[in-house]
Amino acid sequence: MQDRGGDSEFEKAQRKARDIGRVEAAVRGSSSAFEDLYREHVGRVYGLCLRMTADHALAEDLTQETFVQAWRNLARFEARSSFGTWLHRIAVNAVLGQARRRSELLGETGTIEQQLGEVLEDETAGEPGSTRDLEAAIAGLPPGARYVLVLAGVYGYSHEETSAMLGVAVGTCKAQLHRARKLLRQRLGEQEEQP
Amino acid sequence: MSPGTSQDERRLDQYLGALPKSIEPARDLWPGIEARMEPAPGRRARRWAWQAAAAVLLVASSSIVTLQLVKPRAPAVAELPASPSGPAVVPAAFGPGHALDPEYLVAKEQLAEMLAQRIDAMPASARSKLEANLAELQRATAEINAALALQPGDPLLEELLLNTYQAELGVMANVNQLTRMNGTLNQTESARIRL
Repeated sequence: MQDRGGDSEFEKAQRKARDIGRVEAAVRGSSSAFEDLYREHVGRVYGLCLRMTADHALAEDLTQETFVQAWRNLARFEARSSFGTWLHRIAVNAVLGQARRRSELLGETGTIEQQLGEVLEDETAGEPGSTRDLEAAIAGLPPGARYVLVLAGVYGYSHEETSAMLGVAVGTCKAQLHRARKLLRQRLGEQEEQP
Repeated sequence: MSPGTSQDERRLDQYLGALPKSIEPARDLWPGIEARMEPAPGRRARRWAWQAAAAVLLVASSSIVTLQLVKPRAPAVAELPASPSGPAVVPAAFGPGHALDPEYLVAKEQLAEMLAQRIDAMPASARSKLEANLAELQRATAEINAALALQPGDPLLEELLLNTYQAELGVMANVNQLTRMNGTLNQTESARIRL
């Protein structure tokens, strides 16, 4: 269910070719081709939305919104980036738009650790405790720092890509990432010190 | 994890890199997406295009009504020839993959035709200013469309594009109205002198 981002270049190229074929079919009106795209990418979109919003139900809504927007804008996809990256851009726009409309939303972090814990419970069952601790620590970051850390730190986007997605200056992006990493180290250090 | 050392930084990178990129939602989101999917993705006018169409039709119809009210008694055939040297009016589109509502296009075409009929009567300085303004708006439209191809669904870009279309059509409608009023005033003045 979860990929670790460790695909070979060959696998990435194969997936990209498969995605492009499905996009072309979907643009011609094939909803089943679009469903295949959804099945392939929903985990990465939902993962991004969940980590950025720190809200389980909202992440589901935004994932749906992302795919609806992708369907409506499918003819705009030009394959200059991967389909997954294109979806992530739409998802980030959806998250930021929602955050603008509900500025109070991002203060609701009280339940996120539990939500993430529930979501990841089965997945992280045999893994070191640090994975779940880290997810909880990310969820507890201030929104700006969290956005940058999720995009740059977890999903591996460059500072330029991250700043473009978030509509902030590259310098702001770097500063937020530095802040996020510092806060994470502090938080994880506190957890290590606890008996 | 104590803050600051390069070893801590590497450990944090390892932890972040090991986080799953994909998290499956707790429920299948596809039925909700499918229910919101209209046929033929990317080839239909977007919802907000209707807003533009409504606004433009309002401008166009008010211009046409005004034209009927103040139209000089010259035969209608005098209105028909379009100036071949009028300003270029680029066909409107809401993003590269979107067709506009036909009514919107008809309204814009009407305004462009009226403008083409009147532009020759304008003083050279006003005409060059008008052409420069329209060219600038059309350049902005092309740039925003290109940005939308990279950031599909970006609400700020969409709003900017809508505003740019409306500004272009507003300029055309205003010029039509002013040149018409000028013609009517000249005609009234001539009639007064004849009396």
